[in-house]
Amino acid sequence: MSAASPAGTRRPSVLAQVATYAALLVVTMAVLYPVLLVCKKAFEPGRQFALSASPMPRDLTLDHFRDLASAEGPHGELLFLRHALNSLVAALATTVVGVVLSCTAAYALSRFRFPGRRAGLTTFLVVQMFPASMLLLPLYVLLDRMGMLNSLVGLVLVYATTAIPFCVWTLKGYFDSLPKELEEAARIDGAGPWRVFFTIMLPLARPGIAVTALFSFMTAWNEFIMASTFMTDETRYTLPVLLQSSVGQYSADWGLFAAGAIVTSLPVMALFYVLQRSLVGGLTSGSVKG
Amino acid sequence: MTRADSIAPRAATAAPRHRAQLRDWAVATALALIVASAAFFVHRNREFREREEHRAHAAAVAVARGEPPVSPVDAAGVVSPATPSPRYPFLRQRTFQPVGEAAPRALGGPCAPALDKLVYDAATRFDATGPFKGFLPDGSGRVVAAVAAPGTPGGVAVAVSTPPSGPEPYPWLTFVGLIGLGGVIAAAGALLGAWRRPTLLALGASGLAVPTLFWTGPWPAAIIVGLTTLVATASARGATDRWAEALRAHRVALAFLAPAAIAMAILVATPFIAGLVLGFYDHDAGSWTFVGLDNFGHILSGGGKGFDDPGNFWFVLGVTVAWTAVNVVLHVALGVALALLLRQPWLRGKGVFRMLLILPWAIPNYITALIWKGMFQSQDGAINSLLDYAGLGGDVSWFSSWSTAFTANVVTNTWLGFPFMMVVALGALESIPRDLYEAAEVDGASPLQRFWHVTLPHLRPALGPAVVLGSIWTFNMFNVIFLVSRGEPGGSTDILVTQAYRWAFERDEYGMAAAYATLIFLILLLWTVFGTKVTRKEGTP
Repeated sequence: MSAASPAGTRRPSVLAQVATYAALLVVTMAVLYPVLLVCKKAFEPGRQFALSASPMPRDLTLDHFRDLASAEGPHGELLFLRHALNSLVAALATTVVGVVLSCTAAYALSRFRFPGRRAGLTTFLVVQMFPASMLLLPLYVLLDRMGMLNSLVGLVLVYATTAIPFCVWTLKGYFDSLPKELEEAARIDGAGPWRVFFTIMLPLARPGIAVTALFSFMTAWNEFIMASTFMTDETRYTLPVLLQSSVGQYSADWGLFAAGAIVTSLPVMALFYVLQRSLVGGLTSGSVKG
Repeated sequence: MTRADSIAPRAATAAPRHRAQLRDWAVATALALIVASAAFFVHRNREFREREEHRAHAAAVAVARGEPPVSPVDAAGVVSPATPSPRYPFLRQRTFQPVGEAAPRALGGPCAPALDKLVYDAATRFDATGPFKGFLPDGSGRVVAAVAAPGTPGGVAVAVSTPPSGPEPYPWLTFVGLIGLGGVIAAAGALLGAWRRPTLLALGASGLAVPTLFWTGPWPAAIIVGLTTLVATASARGATDRWAEALRAHRVALAFLAPAAIAMAILVATPFIAGLVLGFYDHDAGSWTFVGLDNFGHILSGGGKGFDDPGNFWFVLGVTVAWTAVNVVLHVALGVALALLLRQPWLRGKGVFRMLLILPWAIPNYITALIWKGMFQSQDGAINSLLDYAGLGGDVSWFSSWSTAFTANVVTNTWLGFPFMMVVALGALESIPRDLYEAAEVDGASPLQRFWHVTLPHLRPALGPAVVLGSIWTFNMFNVIFLVSRGEPGGSTDILVTQAYRWAFERDEYGMAAAYATLIFLILLLWTVFGTKVTRKEGTP
C-alpha cells in the first residue's frame, strides 16, 4: 500500500514503486486515449468515428479542416468564420461587461463594512453556483418577448447573468489578498475613496483582473446549452452549437467534428494551462469563505 | 425671552422634519405607484380581452341570426357541417356562406384565402367542444368566435374580428393629479405635526388606491393602504430616519456596489422571479392561465405515473441523486488516490503526470461529452472495438438499456471530473508538514494508520467545500446527459435539469418546466445550506 504513505521518509520496495508507475501510466493512458482518437479522426479520411480502436491514423489528410473552413451558408457566407466570429464577439463582450460592472462591487465587498454585506456576498455566490440552465426557460420567454432570440446582444446579456457574480467573487478574492497599507497611506494624504480605487487599487489589481477576464472569456467561449437554445438561425450559431450540430442524430460527420473540436478547444486549453493554479485557488477560497 | 428660547430649537428641527416627511411620502408614493401601475395593466389587459372577445362573439351571434355582423370583421359567415369529400371520403369538406355574398363556396382549395383554415378549424372545434371564443395564436390580437347557426341544420356561425385598436393609454393625468394632491395632504400633516404627521402621510400616499378600486377591486387597494401605513408607522417611529442615515453613512460603499447590483437586479432577479411566477401558470400556444399549485401538485404526485416510470418526478430525482452520489464518490476516490500517488517524494516526472492528468479539465465539457458519445456508439464506437479486442464481446448497445446508458454517462463524467478533486487534494496534501509523517513513523504507525490519522484530517477541510461544489456541478451536469445518452432509453437516464429542459423545449409545457426549475432550486438551496454547515463544522478544528 504505497498509496497510503504519501510522504514516507523511507523509499518503498521496488515492487511498490513499479506498481505506482504502472497505476499512473494506466490512468494517464485512459485520459489520453479519447484525445488521441479525436486527433486521429481529424487527420484521417472518412466521416465515421473509429472502426478500429487504435489511436494511430491509417491515412493523413487535411480534408476535414478544409471542409470546415469552406462550409457555406444559404447566402454564400463562410459559416465557420461566422461562427468563430459570433463566439469571439459574445465571449469578449461578456468579459468586458462582467469585469467592468463588477470591479467596484468586488472592491466594496472586500474593503467596506456595511449592513447587508454578508447577504450580498451570499447572493453573488448562490447565483454563481446555481446553473444557468435553471434560468433557461424564463430567459427564453423574456428574450422572446423582447424579440432578442437569435441576437448576440441577447446572448451577451444572458451570459452576463453568470459572468457578473463570478467576476465579483474572483475579484473580491484578489482584492482581499492586496495589502491595505497603501490605501491607508493614500487616505491619510487626503485622497477620497474613488481616487484611491482608480489610482491605486485598480492598477494594483491588474493581474487579478486579467485572470478574471480570461476565465470569464473561457466560460463564455465554452458555453453550449444557452447558445443552442437561443440561437436557432444557422448564421447565428456559436462554435459549440456548430460542433454539436455536426454530429447530430441523423447525420454525423465525425471528421468535421474532430477538426472543429481541435480548432475550438486549443486556444482555451492553452489558456487553461496558463491559468489553472489561480482557478483552483479562486474556486476553493470562494466556497470556503462563503 | 423664554418664549424665544423655547421656539428657537423647534424652528431648528422643523426644517429637517419637513424634509423627512416629504422623503417618506415620496417613498410611500413610489411603492403605491408600482402597485397601482400593476393593477392598471392587469385591468387593461382584462378589459381588452373581454372587449375583443365580446366584439367577435356579438358578430358571430348576429351572423347566426342571419343579420350583418354588428362590428367590423375580417371574416364572418355560416359554415356547413363537415361532409366526406366525394373523391377522397377520408377528407371532410365544408362550405362557407360569407355574410353579404350570394352563394356559399367551398372552404379551402388552391387559391383559398389564409383565413379559410381558421374558419374551418373554428367550425371543427365548435363541433368538438361547443360555442367558444378565443384569441388567435398569431399575436395579431384578433378573436375567433363560433356559435350555433339555427338557420342551417348543423351549421356554425363563425366570426373573426378585425385587429383591435390600441389599448387604453397609461393614466398619466390621473396619477399625476393624485400624487400632487397626496403631496399637499402629506405636507399639511408635516405642518400640523404630532399624530397628524404620519396619518396624513399615509392618507396622502394612499390616494392612488382609489382608481385601483375601480380597476381590479379591493386587493391592490388594500396592498397600497397596507404599504403606506407601514411606511407611515416606520416614519413615526423614526425608522425611516435611521435607514436614511445608514444610506448616507454607507453611500460610498453603495455607490461602488451599484453597477453590479443594478445589473444583477435586472439580469438575474427578473428572470428568476419570472421563473418562479411562471411555475404557477399553464402555457398553451402563447397564452398563460393561472393554475395555482397545479403544476407542483402534478409533479410531486408523480403525474399519475408509477415510481419506475421516467415521467415520474421521484424517479428522475432518484436517478439524479444516484448520478450525483456515484460521480462524486468516483471523483473523490480517483482524485485522492492519484494525488497520493503523485505525492511520493521519489516519483519522477511528477510535473508531466500532473499536466497530462488535468487534461480532461482543460477540454470544454461539451466536446468531451460529444467525443464519448461517439466512442460509445454501438456500430463503430471505440469502446466496443476495445471490448472486442479484449475478448469481452464488442456488441454492447450502450444506450438501449438503463444500466449501460447510465454507465456510459458516469464514465464520461468521471473522466472529465476527477482532475478537479485531484488538484484540490494535491493542494491540501502539500500543506501537510512532513514532520507529522516522520513523527508518526517513529511512533510506529502503520501506513493505513498514517493515512487515517494524519492525511485524512488534513484533506477534509479542503475536500469538504470541493465536494459540495462538485456535487452541485454534477447535479446540474446538463451537457453530459444531454449529449451522451440524451436520456435514452426513453428518458430514463435523464436528470432533473435535462427533464426541465424537455418539459420546456420538447413538450412546450412552459409552466411545468418552470415549476421543475423551482423545485430544483429548492433542492439545491437545501443542499448548499446543509453542505456548508457540515463542512464548516468539520473545517473548524
